[in-house]
Amino acid sequence: MKRIASAVVLTTVAALAVVAAPAVSQPKVVKIGDLGSKVGVFEGYGKYQTMGIQMAVEELNAKGGVLGHRIEILSEDDETKPAPAVRKAEKLILQDDVKLLVGVVSSGATMAVMDVTKKHKTIHWNSVSCAEFMRTTKFHKYYFSNQPDSRMQANGLAKYIVDKMGKRVYIFYTDYAMGQSDGRQFKTALEKLGGEVVGVAGAPLDTKDFSPWFGAINQAAPEVLFLAFAGTDSLRLMTQLHSFGMTRKYKLAGIDCFLLQQDLPSIAEPMEGFVQLNHFSAYNPDKSMQAFNAKFRKRFGVDANIAAGAYDAVHFWAAAVEKAASFDPDRVAEAHEGMCREETHIGRQCIRKEDHQVVMDMHLYQVKGGKNIPIARIAGTDSIGEPMVGRDPVEGFSWEIKKKN
Amino acid sequence: MIFGLLGVMNFAHGELYMLGAYAGIAVIGVTHSFWVALIAAPLLVAALGAVTEVATLRPLYRREPLYGLILTFGLALVFREGARQIWGGDMRRVLPPVTGSTPLLGMTYPNYRLFLLGASSALLLLIWLFFTRTRAGVLVRAAVQDAEMLDGLGVNVPRLFTLTFAGSAALAALAGLLLAPVFTVYPQMGVEMILLAFIVVILGGMGSMGGSVVAALVIGTAQSLFSLWMNPQRVAIAIFAIMIVVLIVRPRGFFGREGVLE
Repeated sequence: MKRIASAVVLTTVAALAVVAAPAVSQPKVVKIGDLGSKVGVFEGYGKYQTMGIQMAVEELNAKGGVLGHRIEILSEDDETKPAPAVRKAEKLILQDDVKLLVGVVSSGATMAVMDVTKKHKTIHWNSVSCAEFMRTTKFHKYYFSNQPDSRMQANGLAKYIVDKMGKRVYIFYTDYAMGQSDGRQFKTALEKLGGEVVGVAGAPLDTKDFSPWFGAINQAAPEVLFLAFAGTDSLRLMTQLHSFGMTRKYKLAGIDCFLLQQDLPSIAEPMEGFVQLNHFSAYNPDKSMQAFNAKFRKRFGVDANIAAGAYDAVHFWAAAVEKAASFDPDRVAEAHEGMCREETHIGRQCIRKEDHQVVMDMHLYQVKGGKNIPIARIAGTDSIGEPMVGRDPVEGFSWEIKKKN
Repeated sequence: MIFGLLGVMNFAHGELYMLGAYAGIAVIGVTHSFWVALIAAPLLVAALGAVTEVATLRPLYRREPLYGLILTFGLALVFREGARQIWGGDMRRVLPPVTGSTPLLGMTYPNYRLFLLGASSALLLLIWLFFTRTRAGVLVRAAVQDAEMLDGLGVNVPRLFTLTFAGSAALAALAGLLLAPVFTVYPQMGVEMILLAFIVVILGGMGSMGGSVVAALVIGTAQSLFSLWMNPQRVAIAIFAIMIVVLIVRPRGFFGREGVLE
């Protein structure tokens, strides 16, 4: 009987050893989270964010991963809403134990996720959202951004508009965190430069018919129509402005994430002449952008766009982990500060220590034949502004229209 | 009509509207003609509607209305996600077949929107003629009144149900394609339209076509007029306020028949 029992035990141990052996020999894994819009108004940005992360992870894993760990990506859809974004961020951090969270796309959702990454001490990179609160009142030590925020964009755009396009401007924005922030900062910057805001209006995110707002715009008779929209909202808005003859009537300008390059050919006619601030374009002759775009195109068969910042975010994090020789969030966060990388999608980029904002040059592009053609370069140091961590960036701001005689 | 005839609140109607737009894009891709698509896309979606009715709705007719509601809700998810799998989630644009704009009452108005005005009026007239002047239309109305009696008189009621469902799918598809150049095309487009459609139907009175027309006119006019006086964002609140007031005063809507919802 004892012999039988011993045989059973030995067989079981042997079987377990066989089963467990591959697990022991497998390399260690570190997980990172890709949280973004997989459906809805910002779906395009979420898709390219994932591609950027994927490409960076493939490059890093080909060189042995980070700190000897193979990197694994876990992707989640935030439905472009704060509540699901928070839920998914908590799932990625608490259940999946991700050491880096990249995302999300919508500014409102990003700010909500920032509370989660602060609470759970998780390195958080944002490469698309641009509301001004993220490097001011909502800022925390684990948060980093390589997307120019509203203040940077406004500083870059307002001067060009006042100098080259016209001083009477109507601000039309998408009425949630991003649009409000862009509208506010642009109004402030424009008025400082002597421009006149002749009207402001906000339309809800994902508006289907913008025509009810057109009467007020026409009544204000601006020279320039400044548009702070993104994603499918921008496509729809431009189609409708064009059908009402307003793309020919006014000069048009818009923010960084107004439209992805991929969307331009399908809307080339309404977009002709549109001035858009962007930090990246596949049509920019800049060597770094061309080199990155060639690499991206080889991997995915399509041009890259502004969402390529997610690629750099992963590389920055991996470099910081190697520098800290640890995944400890405090040490990794400190290792990030002041770090510079040469081979990003737009060349050299450095992380400012005070507010963890990447100092990046931006470009103004004009749409010609469905392509973003560069017309001016704005140095990152000129547009970034002073650090405002903990300070209210909208203190004293008013939407009131100051009439000029 | 679907609710009156089949006793099913069709939550997948928005997705048939969306599929019409996508089918239109597919047909335009092959024929390069919006006008051909305007005929072919509704026929394609009507065929899908007929298959759906036979395969999924028919077995549920004798059950509680809740079954139909849950089924069509599920169908909506299947159609929407199916469209996303086939065509992707990116927004697509359909070029308007009628371009240019016309000066109208001090503003520039797109010619395509004027065309839509005419097309939808003509379509309404055709539907009204169908229900009042054709044998098929009279049979559908009779089935709404008493399907069992019609069955007893030798009419093939199941086939009538299938054809009615297919017809409503075709109309939804036609609307989807007609509105595609204005609102663009994406998998979620049906969800957003269905809410407004339900407001119109409830306000007009369940089962009343004339009521729906009146309700649509009331809502459209209110939307436009309120936009002149208030931020267009707040107009949605005004629309719901109108609906609440009408439902308090007339719980069955403008022209709702007694017993439809009870």
